[in-house]
Amino acid sequence: MGYDGAPSPASAAARDAKKKRGNRSSAKLKQCKLDARREQWLSQVKDGKEATAKPLPAGAGSGAGSNAGSPILASPHPPLPRRRADARSRGGVLEDDKEDAGATGHEVGGSDLDSPMHSPCSDNSRGGGCTQSKRCSSNGGGPSLSSVSSLWSSSRSVSDAEDDDTGSGPEEENGVLDDWEAVADALSVDDNSHCHQSLGTTMPPAATSESAPLANTSKRTEPIRSNARAWTPDDTFRPQSLPSISKQSSFPARIGNCWGMGMSAAHQSILSMPLSCPICYEDLDPTDSSFLPCPCGFHLCLFCHKRILEADARCPGCRKLYNSGSAGEGAPTPVRLSRSCSMGPRH
Amino acid sequence: MQASRARLFKEYKEVQREKSADPDIQLICDDSNIFKWTAVIKGPSETPFEGGVFQLAFSIPEQYPLLPPQVRFITKIFHPNVHFKTGEICLDILKNAWSPAWTLQSVCRAIIALMAHPEADSPLNCDSGNLLRSGDIRGYQSMARMYTRLAAMPKKE
Repeated sequence: MGYDGAPSPASAAARDAKKKRGNRSSAKLKQCKLDARREQWLSQVKDGKEATAKPLPAGAGSGAGSNAGSPILASPHPPLPRRRADARSRGGVLEDDKEDAGATGHEVGGSDLDSPMHSPCSDNSRGGGCTQSKRCSSNGGGPSLSSVSSLWSSSRSVSDAEDDDTGSGPEEENGVLDDWEAVADALSVDDNSHCHQSLGTTMPPAATSESAPLANTSKRTEPIRSNARAWTPDDTFRPQSLPSISKQSSFPARIGNCWGMGMSAAHQSILSMPLSCPICYEDLDPTDSSFLPCPCGFHLCLFCHKRILEADARCPGCRKLYNSGSAGEGAPTPVRLSRSCSMGPRH
Repeated sequence: MQASRARLFKEYKEVQREKSADPDIQLICDDSNIFKWTAVIKGPSETPFEGGVFQLAFSIPEQYPLLPPQVRFITKIFHPNVHFKTGEICLDILKNAWSPAWTLQSVCRAIIALMAHPEADSPLNCDSGNLLRSGDIRGYQSMARMYTRLAAMPKKE
């Protein structure tokens, strides 16, 4: 556990500060929860490796604090992996978690310890009933410790809420029985969101977080996340920034314009006209695209048209004077049209 | 001024992107002046210029593309529409028939087409034009081929 708090003490402190500004009490409660849970895991651990780490949880305020904040704050990475994990173990969440609490505490602790060092875990199989390593391997996108542990704690909190009357471990009883109610209260909000998630909705945890100041940070990180996740159309938490994201992700400006205009319009514009002005090579905007100054059908942007009018005022496509062209616009003969097109210099 | 620079820059990017599109034309922009270009074109096949490599110099006015670029042959060429000494080219699209829709690339294509189809009625090289107008095709071709060998082909030795 020595690695636990180490990777991000500064960020943990920042998170703590932010957190405490918002609601100090819930943070405290979460810390209690975390501490209790750690104690529980560690007492189950028989390994020497874990034994050395034992003294830490008592004094690991910053580490626990970072973890307490992480279920919400470390949102950029976890949502996708967590959703995957939930999707995988959907329907079997509770059973898996019970298993965790009872038997696989050692592995749980191990994964919590080791995954930051060599994540993603190479163990992709479901062998050994080790749901935690499963989750860990599904967390390949988020190598940071906080995401891993938040994953863990969130799934645990679900199980705890359900399990606590089944008495999954005596340690839990004597360790945190006193303030269990309070902890449960503090968790309830969080747990609700996680339960929702495990039921398959695609709500981001940040969106359901209870603290107002976090909303800002979560908004900032949203573009990164929503690149990786598919939003259902009826999702109320579909971020309003999503359209702009799709614009961002499609880098070619022309294609982006097409998407913005809608597919049918894009098709039309592709089929019927050049996308860029053949004179200045700038992209044609919709106004330019509908601008047909000459019956020969030569498209150009308004800016270039104006410059040509100021110069020799002949259409670049057919070399006819623009004025005479527009005068005869009523009935341009097909012969003239085709001839002027064949004179077009683009090949 | 600024428009011509932007347009030339776009053309430059286009040329870079489609370098292999037309293997007969190689357009090179001057390193320090985007208004100076050099083109290297291959003589069209089945003409006296086949096998020759001809260099063209482009000087582009600031009003480009409203005004045509000034193009001349650097490599000597025996052609009725090219001045033998100065390399000036008599081509309508470089004069009154210019259209802003033309590009440097398309001008090169037009020049290649002109090499294959000389217009003897408006000669800049009167000797060459007279040979063609008098119907001495063989004389014209042998002269043109000789100058291609002399000026537009790598020396054998």
